[in-house]
Amino acid sequence: MVIRRVYSVPEHITMAGLCAGAIGAVSPVITAHTGAVGLPCPLRTLTGVPCPFCGLTTATVALTHGQWAAAASTSPLAYLVAALVVATTPVLLARAAGLTKPPRPWSAYARRRTRYTACIVVAMSWAFQLHRFGFV
Amino acid sequence: MAEPYAAVPTVIPYANWGQRVGAYLIDWIPQFVLIVLAVVTIRVPILAVLFWLASIGWIIYNRFYKAGTTGQSLGKKALNLKLVSEQTGQPIGALMAFVRDICHFVDGVICYVGFLFPLWDAKRQTIADKIVGTVVIPADTGY
Repeated sequence: MVIRRVYSVPEHITMAGLCAGAIGAVSPVITAHTGAVGLPCPLRTLTGVPCPFCGLTTATVALTHGQWAAAASTSPLAYLVAALVVATTPVLLARAAGLTKPPRPWSAYARRRTRYTACIVVAMSWAFQLHRFGFV
Repeated sequence: MAEPYAAVPTVIPYANWGQRVGAYLIDWIPQFVLIVLAVVTIRVPILAVLFWLASIGWIIYNRFYKAGTTGQSLGKKALNLKLVSEQTGQPIGALMAFVRDICHFVDGVICYVGFLFPLWDAKRQTIADKIVGTVVIPADTGY
């Protein structure tokens, strides 16, 4: 069974990343009025233990406001997503403009390799968050 | 002679993340309206409670009963999608639709990243979809 994609997986992540960046850019303006602090992590709220993706909201807001060090010390994962967004946006635009062909499906080996890499990245991010909150 | 399995699609155009978010937002509109009405009528407790119960009733009817028995909640119907079992291609029943929504807790507990899974997953499933064994596909797709 094959999935039919108009855009590749990195391009999909980039689309979501661009949306997140846009929301991150304007969210301080909104939260200044509402007093909200963004989305709380349910895992950390319930157990006190951070999840691998904790800090992404804060880091995204920091990145979109040029606070590089604050973003890096909150969630390096946000930097990785930002790098993907920057690198893939031209491809995404070219695809949207019809200048490039639809993406070719990845090989099973490439999928497996990407899955392992993603698992390692998530594990590293979790270790970072556990360290940030004083668990390790 | 015609190819006997020619009608069986080899490519399944699973619903993409944007479509699924859109369907969810449409599902949420009536609930949002009822909750707003409950808040507005808070000084008349009986009305507020009725609106609040109606919002829960809407979830049960739309997300569990309709989505479970027909595969289409209001949002999925509006966007021409359906929720089906990965194995059978048939709607999963109200009970499993309820279990699926309970499993959405797992999607939420990791900073809501589970809800982003359809961005990269081969079958565009959330973690809840993987647990329950469901996929979201266009309503006119033969499965």
